[in-house]
Amino acid sequence: MVAEPARDGSVQELENKQEWWWVAEKKRSKRLDYLRKAVWKKGALGGNYAPGIKLDLECATLFTDMWNFWKYDPIMMRRAKAIAHVLDNKTIFITDHAQLVGYFGSLPHTIMWRVDGASMVNEEAYNEPGIMPEPEQESLEKVAKLNDYWAGQTAVDKVARILDPEDAVKFLSGAIGWGAPSSAYGYSGKDYEYLFAGKRGFEDIIEDIEAAIEKAEEKTVGVPGPEILDIYDRLQNWDAMILVLEAAMRHAKRYARLARTMAENFETDDKRKEELLRLARTCEQVPAKSPRNLQESFQYDHFVQMFARVEAHEGAWPARPDYYHGPYYDKDVNIDKTLTKEEALDLVGEFMIRAYEVGGFAPRWAREGLQGITGTWVWTLGGVNKDGTDACNDLTIAFLQAARLVRVSNPTFGFRWHPKVKDEVMRECFECIRHGLGYPSMRNDPLLVQNAMHWHGHPLEEARTWVHQACMSPCPTTKNGVQPMRMASATANCAKMVEYALHNGYDHVVGMQMGPQTGEASSFTDFEQLFQAWTTQMQWLTNLLVRTVNLGRYKDPEFFGRPFLSGISQRSVESGLDVVSPVGDRGNCWITAFTWVENIDSLAAVKKLVFDEKKYTMEQLITALKANWDGYEQMRLDFVNNAPKWGNDDDYVDDIMIRCLQATARHSHVMKCPSGNNWPILPENVSGNIHYASIVGALPNGRRCGDALYDGGISPGPGLDKKGPTAVLASCGKIDHIADGRAFLLNQRLSPTQLAGEKGYQLWKAYIRTWADLGLDHVQFNMVSDETLRAAQKDPEKYSEVIVRVAGYSAHFVDISRKTQDNIIQRTVQGI
Amino acid sequence: MKCTECSYEAGVSSFRYLYNARIDASMTLRQCPQCQAWLAVDELAGEARQRVTDGDAPWGKSAGIEGLARDVAR
Repeated sequence: MVAEPARDGSVQELENKQEWWWVAEKKRSKRLDYLRKAVWKKGALGGNYAPGIKLDLECATLFTDMWNFWKYDPIMMRRAKAIAHVLDNKTIFITDHAQLVGYFGSLPHTIMWRVDGASMVNEEAYNEPGIMPEPEQESLEKVAKLNDYWAGQTAVDKVARILDPEDAVKFLSGAIGWGAPSSAYGYSGKDYEYLFAGKRGFEDIIEDIEAAIEKAEEKTVGVPGPEILDIYDRLQNWDAMILVLEAAMRHAKRYARLARTMAENFETDDKRKEELLRLARTCEQVPAKSPRNLQESFQYDHFVQMFARVEAHEGAWPARPDYYHGPYYDKDVNIDKTLTKEEALDLVGEFMIRAYEVGGFAPRWAREGLQGITGTWVWTLGGVNKDGTDACNDLTIAFLQAARLVRVSNPTFGFRWHPKVKDEVMRECFECIRHGLGYPSMRNDPLLVQNAMHWHGHPLEEARTWVHQACMSPCPTTKNGVQPMRMASATANCAKMVEYALHNGYDHVVGMQMGPQTGEASSFTDFEQLFQAWTTQMQWLTNLLVRTVNLGRYKDPEFFGRPFLSGISQRSVESGLDVVSPVGDRGNCWITAFTWVENIDSLAAVKKLVFDEKKYTMEQLITALKANWDGYEQMRLDFVNNAPKWGNDDDYVDDIMIRCLQATARHSHVMKCPSGNNWPILPENVSGNIHYASIVGALPNGRRCGDALYDGGISPGPGLDKKGPTAVLASCGKIDHIADGRAFLLNQRLSPTQLAGEKGYQLWKAYIRTWADLGLDHVQFNMVSDETLRAAQKDPEKYSEVIVRVAGYSAHFVDISRKTQDNIIQRTVQGI
Repeated sequence: MKCTECSYEAGVSSFRYLYNARIDASMTLRQCPQCQAWLAVDELAGEARQRVTDGDAPWGKSAGIEGLARDVAR
């Protein structure tokens, strides 16, 4: 099945021109071509939804109806019944040519609305132009009615009421962090070891739950005592888990019935008829029973993800598809030969497209911070087995090949590199990067396994199962290692640390005293006073965010409840506790540190130009910053060009980076999560550097309020790394990537011309060796020329499939704002 | 400062600041309050240089070897 040529020129000619998006269109099968083009783009364009995308009112209404009906039930049971009602009644569909099914909305162009999550988000949904289904007035009335019902009783409303009032005001100012302290929004890790390695279907899990209930009930009819009292709650929870798992199986069987009906009554093409019948058999098998082949394995996984998303707004997609589905690929393709490699590639490509299709309604800050996508679906590939041997398999290669054919911006891949990865796999990784996908990001596996052990005490074998919990953070997929819900509100806008240190804790952008009063900076007489102020602001800011998340996590089983996620997690199946309960969770928390490097370059500039060279006084600097550098352009340029900048192998500024990281790492051991574990930082940005551009004031690194912040992690400022890629790596190599933080994002931009052909691969491979030798944990690449990106700005329709790496994720270039586009083009193109 | 498109004249700060094109250069993007055109502005000189439309980059190419890439390839 080869697609008709869509554009002039042979594949070879298009490859020579590096127009990879047309190459993909020519090379992929007709089925993949159709499915790729039929999918609705849910990611926001800049900050707005694409024309035609509509809010899903059906699921929100079904959920609310049943939630209201069972108002006297305990929360887990009440939620389970509401979810079951959605799964039993929502509209379902099968896309033409599809071999995999399942969408959490009712129609392909709808975005799911988490109506019980946050009233603030509900109000935004009401006010968002263009997304109401027709007739619009009728939809608006429905939404208004739903909003009235939920006002004050959403998960976030409940948490907000018990937060310290000052914390709540500061957190909700939007200046210092984002996210919501509730499992209604966030990233849920899946207990893949229990489901997939354990070969359990939902029927098997229900048996496990029933055994646990039987054991518990022996106690409730036994000798009275305090130890049996909480068993009554657990019994309710177990019942809720069974109820929702049974609904999930019924839901799958609805698809089976639909596929069979279509095959037997409507389909005229024999081949498609057989495909529909196979789809029916697939949905009769999974998720009720464990999968028997690759299609069933993918379908099972996709169902699990969809059900979890009916239950909560999941902003990430932790997964390791080559590891958990690889044995089925091997069986079908290599042993039984029931699938050809091409047929398997179709399934892999479709598996990615089904994930790309997924999108829920997000508030504007999230849309601006994740332009072009709906969440960070970073799937993990490669790595090692539990015994340390190479885990790469044929499916690893198939995923990397399929990615180049379907060219979706979500999911992307993070590749767990280790010294035993074979050359053929490395070549596939490089080809994806060379094709401009921006992924896979390269992750240093041996180092990150050590990191997981260092920060959270995961045993070696468990640490080796790690997946990307969101963009970057490694998290095991085991009973005690899995993080059931990472609440994104521990996301810090770190540039505020140095801003507050310079303004006595006052925020001139939001007009409020935010941080502690650490003294008027104009009276500081040496750098140590400034650094002390910075440390105090850093501790205050991280403390506030962590307090908020800890409280949200602790209260979540009472305020929200996750019966489905609990039902697929061994810890809950055994204990009867909501999986979000910290009990039995080893803890895997991290603070996402947005806009981190601005601190380093700003502190270095003040140290150099004010305290060392005494070229300016602190008073002059503060005056210029308060004026947003307006009228101080020459001085601003001095602070940019004549002060050392991170990423140039300059110890003057690199030492400040290490000092800041170590101070924060010390504090990370002081702050504890509800499980009693540490809170390390993880510098990275998604496109928060654009979202925060107008929220962070002028800084001594030379940026004005309004300018994009740096692109994140430990990436140098765009265009400020002037000494080449080795100097960037040398600077980053001075960081202890185990003890100084959880992970460190590094964006690099390479020249597609320089890295053409075999020579290009060898250069890149040598670069990766140096990267690994220096002990860096992450690097990701953009390899699209200025010329192409400027042409895409001019003629977006012609370049609609050009993909770039934004930060922890990729996006189609034309889907991000001009400001973000220019920020990406500003990045230095490194010659290696 | 004078808008290159509609000749509106006012102080630089009256033109809405958008963002910098490169942090290490004095060129910024500002928007004319009268005709809404995006303008490339030299902040040191306080002058609007030209209108900026899709794909325009009056501040030049990215830092690094991009401009030399074709030579490197040869």
